[in-house]
Amino acid sequence: MIGFKNAIHKLPVPCFVENAAQVEQLIFTPSCQGNLAVYLHKPEVKAAKKVGIVANIATLRSVLQLVSENQLGDIEKTVLTVNAQNELLMFDNMDALEQYVQANFPVISDEDKKLLDQVNAMTRAERWQFWTEQFSACVKCYACRAVCPMCYCSTCTVESNQPQWIKVSSETTGNLEWHTMRAMHLAGRCINCGECGRICPVGIPVHLLTAKMNQDIEAEFGAKTGFSFKSGYALNTFKPGDKEQFIK
Amino acid sequence: MSEQFEPKIIAFVCNWCTYAGADLAGTSRTKYATNVSIIRFPCTGRIDFMLLMKAFENGADGIIVSGCHPNDCHYTSGNFHARRRWIVFRSLLDFMGFDTDRITFSWVSAAEGTKWAGLVDEVTEKIREKGPFTEFKQLDLSTLEKIENDAITK
Repeated sequence: MIGFKNAIHKLPVPCFVENAAQVEQLIFTPSCQGNLAVYLHKPEVKAAKKVGIVANIATLRSVLQLVSENQLGDIEKTVLTVNAQNELLMFDNMDALEQYVQANFPVISDEDKKLLDQVNAMTRAERWQFWTEQFSACVKCYACRAVCPMCYCSTCTVESNQPQWIKVSSETTGNLEWHTMRAMHLAGRCINCGECGRICPVGIPVHLLTAKMNQDIEAEFGAKTGFSFKSGYALNTFKPGDKEQFIK
Repeated sequence: MSEQFEPKIIAFVCNWCTYAGADLAGTSRTKYATNVSIIRFPCTGRIDFMLLMKAFENGADGIIVSGCHPNDCHYTSGNFHARRRWIVFRSLLDFMGFDTDRITFSWVSAAEGTKWAGLVDEVTEKIREKGPFTEFKQLDLSTLEKIENDAITK
Protein backbone atom coordinates (compact mmCIF):
# COMPACT_ATOMS: atom_id res chain seq x y z
CA MET A 1 0.00 0.00 0.00
CA ILE A 2 1.43 3.40 -0.98
CA GLY A 3 0.25 6.39 1.01
CA PHE A 4 1.31 9.40 3.06
CA LYS A 5 2.49 9.65 6.66
CA ASN A 6 3.47 12.52 8.89
CA ALA A 7 7.16 13.24 9.11
CA ILE A 8 9.21 15.90 10.88
CA HIS A 9 7.41 19.25 11.11
CA LYS A 10 4.15 17.48 10.25
CA LEU A 11 4.89 17.52 6.52
CA PRO A 12 3.40 14.51 4.74
CA VAL A 13 5.92 12.19 3.10
CA PRO A 14 5.37 9.05 1.01
CA CYS A 15 5.03 5.88 3.02
CA PHE A 16 5.00 2.21 2.02
CA VAL A 17 2.82 -0.05 4.13
CA GLU A 18 3.52 -3.76 3.87
CA ASN A 19 1.34 -5.23 6.63
CA ALA A 20 -1.82 -4.45 8.59
CA ALA A 21 0.07 -3.31 11.68
CA GLN A 22 1.59 -0.38 9.79
CA VAL A 23 -1.71 0.96 8.47
CA GLU A 24 -2.21 3.24 11.49
CA GLN A 25 0.45 5.67 10.32
CA LEU A 26 -1.33 6.50 7.04
CA ILE A 27 -2.85 9.97 6.75
CA PHE A 28 -4.64 11.91 4.01
CA THR A 29 -5.00 15.67 4.29
CA PRO A 30 -5.23 18.55 1.79
CA SER A 31 -1.48 19.07 2.24
CA CYS A 32 -0.79 15.62 0.75
CA GLN A 33 0.10 17.10 -2.63
CA GLY A 34 2.70 14.69 -3.97
CA ASN A 35 1.84 12.44 -6.90
CA LEU A 36 2.34 8.91 -5.56
CA ALA A 37 1.64 7.37 -8.97
CA VAL A 38 5.35 7.85 -9.65
CA TYR A 39 6.01 4.76 -7.51
CA LEU A 40 3.46 2.53 -9.23
CA HIS A 41 5.68 1.37 -12.05
CA LYS A 42 8.83 0.87 -9.97
CA PRO A 43 9.96 -2.77 -10.13
CA GLU A 44 10.00 -3.04 -6.31
CA VAL A 45 6.35 -2.03 -6.16
CA LYS A 46 5.34 -4.16 -9.12
CA ALA A 47 6.93 -7.18 -7.43
CA ALA A 48 4.16 -6.96 -4.82
CA LYS A 49 1.56 -7.81 -7.52
CA LYS A 50 -1.31 -6.39 -5.39
CA VAL A 51 -0.91 -2.68 -4.77
CA GLY A 52 -3.13 -0.10 -3.09
CA ILE A 53 -2.55 3.60 -3.53
CA VAL A 54 -3.85 6.65 -1.69
CA ALA A 55 -4.66 9.14 -4.40
CA ASN A 56 -5.23 12.84 -4.78
CA ILE A 57 -6.62 14.31 -8.03
CA ALA A 58 -3.28 14.15 -9.80
CA THR A 59 -2.69 10.55 -8.82
CA LEU A 60 -6.15 9.47 -9.99
CA ARG A 61 -5.51 10.93 -13.40
CA SER A 62 -1.98 9.53 -13.57
CA VAL A 63 -3.33 6.06 -12.86
CA LEU A 64 -5.80 6.38 -15.74
CA GLN A 65 -3.08 7.56 -18.13
CA LEU A 66 -0.63 4.85 -17.03
CA VAL A 67 -3.30 2.19 -17.57
CA SER A 68 -4.03 3.61 -21.01
CA GLU A 69 -0.31 3.34 -21.82
CA ASN A 70 -0.37 -0.33 -20.76
CA GLN A 71 2.02 0.25 -17.88
CA LEU A 72 0.03 -1.26 -15.03
CA GLY A 73 -1.41 -4.39 -16.65
CA ASP A 74 0.64 -6.76 -14.52
CA ILE A 75 -0.49 -5.55 -11.08
CA GLU A 76 -3.78 -5.75 -9.29
CA LYS A 77 -4.45 -2.22 -8.15
CA THR A 78 -6.86 -0.56 -5.74
CA VAL A 79 -7.14 3.22 -5.66
CA LEU A 80 -8.29 4.97 -2.48
CA THR A 81 -9.36 8.59 -2.40
CA VAL A 82 -11.49 10.99 -0.40
CA ASN A 83 -14.13 13.04 -2.21
CA ALA A 84 -15.29 16.62 -1.57
CA GLN A 85 -17.86 15.37 0.94
CA ASN A 86 -15.09 13.72 2.97
CA GLU A 87 -16.18 10.19 2.10
CA LEU A 88 -13.67 7.45 1.48
CA LEU A 89 -13.94 6.01 -2.02
CA MET A 90 -12.32 2.83 -3.24
CA PHE A 91 -11.85 1.87 -6.90
CA ASP A 92 -10.55 -1.39 -8.22
CA ASN A 93 -12.31 -1.10 -11.53
CA MET A 94 -11.03 1.45 -14.03
CA ASP A 95 -14.46 2.21 -15.54
CA ALA A 96 -15.72 3.50 -12.20
CA LEU A 97 -12.53 5.50 -11.65
CA GLU A 98 -12.83 7.03 -15.11
CA GLN A 99 -16.42 8.11 -14.45
CA TYR A 100 -15.49 9.64 -11.12
CA VAL A 101 -12.56 11.61 -12.59
CA GLN A 102 -14.55 12.83 -15.60
CA ALA A 103 -17.36 14.06 -13.38
CA ASN A 104 -15.22 15.83 -10.83
CA PHE A 105 -12.04 17.41 -12.11
CA PRO A 106 -10.92 20.23 -14.41
CA VAL A 107 -8.27 19.75 -17.12
CA ILE A 108 -5.93 22.28 -15.52
CA SER A 109 -5.97 24.08 -12.19
CA ASP A 110 -7.02 27.75 -12.19
CA GLU A 111 -3.65 28.78 -10.81
CA ASP A 112 -1.70 27.11 -13.65
CA LYS A 113 -4.18 28.42 -16.20
CA LYS A 114 -3.49 31.97 -15.00
CA LEU A 115 0.28 31.52 -15.27
CA LEU A 116 -0.09 29.98 -18.71
CA ASP A 117 -2.22 32.90 -19.91
CA GLN A 118 0.38 35.33 -18.57
CA VAL A 119 3.18 33.72 -20.59
CA ASN A 120 0.93 33.34 -23.64
CA ALA A 121 0.16 37.06 -23.51
CA MET A 122 3.85 38.08 -23.72
CA THR A 123 5.48 38.98 -27.03
CA ARG A 124 7.86 36.46 -28.56
CA ALA A 125 10.95 38.39 -27.47
CA GLU A 126 9.64 38.63 -23.92
CA ARG A 127 8.96 34.91 -23.87
CA TRP A 128 12.49 34.15 -25.07
CA GLN A 129 13.89 36.45 -22.39
CA PHE A 130 11.67 34.87 -19.73
CA TRP A 131 12.47 31.26 -20.55
CA THR A 132 16.19 31.67 -21.16
CA GLU A 133 16.50 33.47 -17.86
CA GLN A 134 14.62 30.67 -16.14
CA PHE A 135 16.63 27.95 -17.91
CA SER A 136 19.96 29.58 -17.12
CA ALA A 137 19.27 28.70 -13.47
CA CYS A 138 18.63 25.01 -14.21
CA VAL A 139 21.23 22.78 -12.55
CA LYS A 140 20.17 19.64 -14.44
CA CYS A 141 19.32 17.74 -11.28
CA TYR A 142 16.51 16.02 -13.23
CA ALA A 143 14.19 16.23 -10.23
CA CYS A 144 11.45 17.12 -12.74
CA ARG A 145 12.06 13.77 -14.37
CA ALA A 146 12.31 11.81 -11.12
CA VAL A 147 9.02 13.16 -9.80
CA CYS A 148 7.04 12.60 -13.00
CA PRO A 149 4.80 9.53 -13.07
CA MET A 150 4.90 9.54 -16.87
CA CYS A 151 8.72 9.44 -17.08
CA TYR A 152 9.08 5.70 -16.79
CA CYS A 153 11.63 4.83 -19.51
CA SER A 154 14.33 2.67 -18.02
CA THR A 155 16.97 4.57 -20.02
CA CYS A 156 16.42 8.26 -20.70
CA THR A 157 17.73 10.17 -23.72
CA VAL A 158 19.74 12.43 -21.41
CA GLU A 159 21.78 9.41 -20.34
CA SER A 160 22.65 8.61 -23.93
CA ASN A 161 26.18 9.72 -24.79
CA GLN A 162 26.50 8.27 -28.27
CA PRO A 163 25.23 10.58 -29.59
CA GLN A 164 25.24 13.04 -26.74
CA TRP A 165 21.83 14.62 -27.23
CA ILE A 166 21.95 16.74 -24.11
CA LYS A 167 25.17 18.12 -22.66
CA VAL A 168 25.90 16.90 -19.16
CA SER A 169 26.97 20.25 -17.79
CA SER A 170 24.50 22.96 -16.95
CA GLU A 171 24.58 25.67 -19.60
CA THR A 172 21.61 27.52 -21.02
CA THR A 173 21.51 26.04 -24.54
CA GLY A 174 21.70 22.50 -23.22
CA ASN A 175 19.19 23.31 -20.50
CA LEU A 176 16.81 24.66 -23.12
CA GLU A 177 17.25 21.49 -25.15
CA TRP A 178 16.61 19.34 -22.10
CA HIS A 179 13.39 21.16 -21.28
CA THR A 180 12.26 21.10 -24.92
CA MET A 181 12.89 17.38 -25.04
CA ARG A 182 11.14 16.72 -21.74
CA ALA A 183 8.09 18.70 -22.82
CA MET A 184 7.97 16.99 -26.22
CA HIS A 185 8.27 13.51 -24.73
CA LEU A 186 5.42 14.34 -22.35
CA ALA A 187 3.23 16.08 -24.92
CA GLY A 188 -0.17 14.43 -24.86
CA ARG A 189 0.82 12.28 -21.89
CA CYS A 190 1.26 14.86 -19.12
CA ILE A 191 -1.76 15.09 -16.84
CA ASN A 192 -1.03 18.63 -15.56
CA CYS A 193 -0.29 17.65 -11.97
CA GLY A 194 2.38 20.38 -11.83
CA GLU A 195 4.71 18.30 -9.65
CA CYS A 196 7.73 19.07 -11.88
CA GLY A 197 7.32 22.80 -11.32
CA ARG A 198 6.65 22.35 -7.61
CA ILE A 199 9.69 20.16 -7.05
CA CYS A 200 12.18 22.31 -9.02
CA PRO A 201 14.89 23.42 -6.57
CA VAL A 202 15.50 26.64 -8.49
CA GLY A 203 11.82 27.38 -9.09
CA ILE A 204 11.56 27.09 -12.89
CA PRO A 205 7.86 26.75 -13.83
CA VAL A 206 8.63 23.76 -16.09
CA HIS A 207 5.10 22.45 -15.74
CA LEU A 208 3.93 25.34 -17.94
CA LEU A 209 5.67 23.80 -20.94
CA THR A 210 3.77 20.54 -20.68
CA ALA A 211 0.59 22.39 -19.75
CA LYS A 212 0.95 24.41 -22.95
CA MET A 213 1.43 21.20 -24.94
CA ASN A 214 -1.74 19.79 -23.42
CA GLN A 215 -3.65 22.96 -24.21
CA ASP A 216 -2.57 22.71 -27.86
CA ILE A 217 -3.27 19.03 -28.16
CA GLU A 218 -6.76 19.54 -26.83
CA ALA A 219 -7.35 22.47 -29.18
CA GLU A 220 -5.81 20.84 -32.27
CA PHE A 221 -6.71 17.16 -31.89
CA GLY A 222 -9.46 17.22 -29.27
CA ALA A 223 -7.51 14.83 -27.05
CA LYS A 224 -7.57 15.16 -23.27
CA THR A 225 -5.06 13.37 -21.10
CA GLY A 226 -5.76 11.48 -17.89
CA PHE A 227 -9.52 11.33 -18.20
CA SER A 228 -9.84 7.88 -19.69
CA PHE A 229 -7.99 4.61 -19.34
CA LYS A 230 -8.41 3.99 -23.06
CA SER A 231 -7.25 7.35 -24.44
CA GLY A 232 -3.69 6.30 -25.30
CA TYR A 233 -1.21 8.85 -26.56
CA ALA A 234 -2.22 11.71 -28.87
CA LEU A 235 1.09 11.78 -30.80
CA ASN A 236 1.03 8.04 -31.38
CA THR A 237 -2.01 8.32 -33.57
CA PHE A 238 -3.33 10.73 -36.22
CA LYS A 239 -6.33 11.77 -38.21
CA PRO A 240 -5.91 12.23 -41.96
CA GLY A 241 -7.77 15.52 -41.53
CA ASP A 242 -5.47 17.07 -38.89
CA LYS A 243 -5.34 20.79 -39.65
CA GLU A 244 -2.35 23.11 -39.76
CA GLN A 245 -1.60 26.42 -41.44
CA PHE A 246 2.17 26.37 -41.72
CA ILE A 247 3.15 23.52 -44.06
CA LYS A 248 3.80 24.86 -47.54
CA MET B 1 29.94 45.02 -44.89
CA SER B 2 30.38 44.52 -48.58
CA GLU B 3 29.94 40.76 -48.59
CA GLN B 4 26.43 39.44 -48.62
CA PHE B 5 25.44 37.18 -45.75
CA GLU B 6 25.13 33.60 -47.00
CA PRO B 7 22.85 31.63 -44.67
CA LYS B 8 23.54 28.01 -43.88
CA ILE B 9 20.38 26.03 -44.45
CA ILE B 10 19.91 22.43 -43.46
CA ALA B 11 17.15 20.43 -45.15
CA PHE B 12 15.78 17.32 -43.49
CA VAL B 13 14.01 15.43 -46.23
CA CYS B 14 12.43 12.04 -46.72
CA ASN B 15 14.00 9.54 -49.07
CA TRP B 16 10.91 8.79 -51.12
CA CYS B 17 9.47 12.17 -52.07
CA THR B 18 11.47 15.30 -51.36
CA TYR B 19 14.88 13.70 -51.88
CA ALA B 20 13.70 12.37 -55.22
CA GLY B 21 12.18 15.80 -55.93
CA ALA B 22 15.52 17.47 -55.23
CA ASP B 23 17.19 14.87 -57.43
CA LEU B 24 14.74 15.73 -60.19
CA ALA B 25 15.58 19.42 -59.79
CA GLY B 26 19.23 18.46 -60.27
CA THR B 27 18.74 16.20 -63.29
CA SER B 28 16.48 18.83 -64.85
CA ARG B 29 19.35 21.34 -64.46
CA THR B 30 17.11 23.69 -62.46
CA LYS B 31 19.17 26.45 -60.87
CA TYR B 32 18.64 27.14 -57.17
CA ALA B 33 20.50 28.53 -54.16
CA THR B 34 23.56 26.56 -53.05
CA ASN B 35 23.05 27.41 -49.39
CA VAL B 36 21.18 24.23 -48.64
CA SER B 37 22.69 21.00 -47.31
CA ILE B 38 20.34 18.08 -47.69
CA ILE B 39 20.13 15.29 -45.14
CA ARG B 40 18.21 12.23 -46.27
CA PHE B 41 15.95 10.31 -43.92
CA PRO B 42 13.93 7.16 -44.52
CA CYS B 43 10.71 9.05 -43.72
CA THR B 44 9.53 12.32 -42.19
CA GLY B 45 8.36 10.21 -39.26
CA ARG B 46 12.05 9.56 -38.53
CA ILE B 47 12.95 13.25 -38.27
CA ASP B 48 13.35 13.67 -34.53
CA PHE B 49 12.84 17.20 -33.21
CA MET B 50 16.17 16.91 -31.38
CA LEU B 51 17.94 16.77 -34.75
CA LEU B 52 16.51 20.20 -35.52
CA MET B 53 17.73 21.55 -32.18
CA LYS B 54 21.18 20.07 -32.83
CA ALA B 55 21.31 21.63 -36.30
CA PHE B 56 20.70 25.07 -34.79
CA GLU B 57 23.24 24.39 -32.06
CA ASN B 58 25.83 23.49 -34.69
CA GLY B 59 25.44 26.67 -36.69
CA ALA B 60 22.42 26.33 -38.98
CA ASP B 61 20.68 29.62 -39.74
CA GLY B 62 17.56 28.05 -41.16
CA ILE B 63 15.98 24.63 -41.52
CA ILE B 64 13.73 23.03 -44.10
CA VAL B 65 11.76 19.94 -43.16
CA SER B 66 10.05 18.28 -46.06
CA GLY B 67 8.48 15.00 -47.07
CA CYS B 68 5.66 13.33 -48.96
CA HIS B 69 2.28 14.98 -49.28
CA PRO B 70 -0.44 13.59 -46.98
CA ASN B 71 -1.69 10.21 -48.26
CA ASP B 72 1.51 9.74 -50.30
CA CYS B 73 3.76 8.33 -47.55
CA HIS B 74 5.77 5.31 -48.62
CA TYR B 75 5.09 3.82 -45.19
CA THR B 76 1.40 4.83 -45.29
CA SER B 77 1.28 7.04 -42.21
CA GLY B 78 4.76 8.35 -41.30
CA ASN B 79 4.00 11.86 -42.53
CA PHE B 80 0.68 11.98 -40.65
CA HIS B 81 2.47 11.17 -37.40
CA ALA B 82 5.18 13.68 -38.27
CA ARG B 83 2.58 16.34 -38.95
CA ARG B 84 1.09 15.98 -35.45
CA ARG B 85 4.56 16.17 -33.95
CA TRP B 86 5.41 19.31 -35.95
CA ILE B 87 2.19 21.01 -34.90
CA VAL B 88 3.03 20.65 -31.22
CA PHE B 89 6.78 21.14 -31.64
CA ARG B 90 6.34 24.38 -33.52
CA SER B 91 3.92 25.62 -30.91
CA LEU B 92 6.31 24.67 -28.08
CA LEU B 93 9.18 26.55 -29.73
CA ASP B 94 6.94 29.57 -30.18
CA PHE B 95 5.86 29.35 -26.54
CA MET B 96 9.52 29.43 -25.52
CA GLY B 97 10.05 32.49 -27.67
CA PHE B 98 12.07 30.73 -30.38
CA ASP B 99 11.74 32.23 -33.86
CA THR B 100 9.70 29.54 -35.65
CA ASP B 101 10.10 31.37 -38.99
CA ARG B 102 13.55 29.83 -39.18
CA ILE B 103 12.02 26.41 -39.68
CA THR B 104 10.06 25.85 -42.88
CA PHE B 105 7.86 22.80 -43.21
CA SER B 106 6.82 21.65 -46.62
CA TRP B 107 5.44 18.81 -48.71
CA VAL B 108 7.42 18.24 -51.89
CA SER B 109 6.69 15.17 -54.00
CA ALA B 110 9.11 13.31 -56.27
CA ALA B 111 7.60 15.11 -59.27
CA GLU B 112 7.93 18.60 -57.82
CA GLY B 113 11.50 19.50 -58.73
CA THR B 114 10.50 23.07 -59.54
CA LYS B 115 8.64 23.44 -56.25
CA TRP B 116 11.79 22.28 -54.42
CA ALA B 117 14.01 24.76 -56.24
CA GLY B 118 11.54 27.55 -55.56
CA LEU B 119 11.26 26.57 -51.90
CA VAL B 120 15.02 26.62 -51.37
CA ASP B 121 15.33 30.02 -53.07
CA GLU B 122 12.48 31.42 -51.02
CA VAL B 123 13.83 30.12 -47.70
CA THR B 124 17.36 31.29 -48.49
CA GLU B 125 16.06 34.77 -49.24
CA LYS B 126 13.94 34.82 -46.08
CA ILE B 127 16.82 33.73 -43.83
CA ARG B 128 19.20 36.14 -45.57
CA GLU B 129 16.87 38.98 -44.61
CA LYS B 130 16.62 37.70 -41.06
CA GLY B 131 20.39 37.48 -40.71
CA PRO B 132 22.46 34.87 -38.89
CA PHE B 133 20.96 32.79 -36.09
CA THR B 134 22.79 34.03 -33.01
CA GLU B 135 20.41 33.24 -30.14
CA PHE B 136 22.15 30.03 -29.08
CA LYS B 137 25.61 31.58 -29.36
CA GLN B 138 24.51 34.46 -27.16
CA LEU B 139 23.22 32.00 -24.60
CA ASP B 140 26.54 30.17 -24.61
CA LEU B 141 28.37 33.47 -24.16
CA SER B 142 26.14 34.48 -21.27
CA THR B 143 26.81 31.11 -19.62
CA LEU B 144 30.55 31.68 -19.99
CA GLU B 145 30.22 35.14 -18.50
CA LYS B 146 28.32 33.71 -15.57
CA ILE B 147 31.02 31.11 -14.94
CA GLU B 148 33.73 33.78 -15.12
CA ASN B 149 31.86 36.06 -12.72
CA ASP B 150 31.35 33.18 -10.31
CA ALA B 151 35.05 32.38 -10.47
CA ILE B 152 35.97 36.00 -9.78
CA THR B 153 33.66 36.33 -6.78
CA LYS B 154 35.09 33.11 -5.37
